[in-house]
Amino acid sequence: MTHQMHAYHMVNPSPWPLTGALSALLITSGLMMWFHSNSIFLLVLGLITNILTMFQWWRDIIREGTFQGHHTPIVQKGLRYGMILFIISEVLFFTGFFWAFYHSSLVPTTELGGYWPPAGIKPLNPLEVPLLNTAVLLASGVSVTWAHHSILEKDRINAIQALIVTISLGLYFTLLQIMEYYESPFTIADSVYGSTFFMATGFHGFHVIIGSSFLFICLMRQLKFHFTSNHHFGFEAAAWYWHFVDVVWLFLYVSIYWWGS
Amino acid sequence: MEDDIKTKIKNCKTAPFDSCFPNQNQTKNCWQNYLDFHRCEKAMTAKGGDVSVCQWYQRVYKSLCPISWLSNWDNQRAEGTFPGKI
Repeated sequence: MTHQMHAYHMVNPSPWPLTGALSALLITSGLMMWFHSNSIFLLVLGLITNILTMFQWWRDIIREGTFQGHHTPIVQKGLRYGMILFIISEVLFFTGFFWAFYHSSLVPTTELGGYWPPAGIKPLNPLEVPLLNTAVLLASGVSVTWAHHSILEKDRINAIQALIVTISLGLYFTLLQIMEYYESPFTIADSVYGSTFFMATGFHGFHVIIGSSFLFICLMRQLKFHFTSNHHFGFEAAAWYWHFVDVVWLFLYVSIYWWGS
Repeated sequence: MEDDIKTKIKNCKTAPFDSCFPNQNQTKNCWQNYLDFHRCEKAMTAKGGDVSVCQWYQRVYKSLCPISWLSNWDNQRAEGTFPGKI
């Protein structure tokens, strides 16, 4: 019987990259059908296959790492590099939207009246709900760190509690933003102000939902005893992502909500 | 007739160089003078002063600005939708 003489993980053949790529095709073509041909079918099919791919692919990774022991230290290092590079790519993604905002707001055109916020726009008061949102996310950064330390110190109950607090704060942020969007006196169609505001805050909110979901999965795994005090990379990846989401919000708050008002 | 045209061309003037707007894109120059004239006109008529002191700004913007912009802005002012602060 042959054994591998190295510590790397030679992953077994898997259908999920293909189903993921196909789901991407269905989503993009589905969007076109929805926009132009009044049909939502392809899009829904694409979203379902996308969610199924994510569920099954990540379930397999958990099986390989947590149950089968394939995630040796060097494999974990690769996963760390991967998560870091992914977050860097997300930073660049948001950089685009911040570039658009500063391009439009630093030299406001004559159509806007030559000033920012533009003519007719009443911006949200940065000292009201946006400030609360800032406090909520900063607090969630503290609680996720509490969760991490609890895991490191083998404190199961505190880890669970801290994760619940973090996820609840994330949900609270999302609910507050939904309410703000609903009550907002301006829409995405209201000049370049509306465009830059809703594109930047909208994608940020989407990332909050992704981060909260990731943390929720970590909570489920913690309840099922997946994490040990010295091996819990899934949690660390979620925590890094969460901190990234928090930092993006801080930039949003200072640039768009505060300076931009 | 020829002399008239030659002297006309010699005497023809336009807006001078304004160091506040040194670059090729003179949009801001046109816009600022349009605003300045109408603010001056509003202030002088409010205080019962002589609007002719505002004439310089008007001559500059009429020289620099595309006529389509001016008709657009004049219409907006008439409708109350002009975005600039006057």
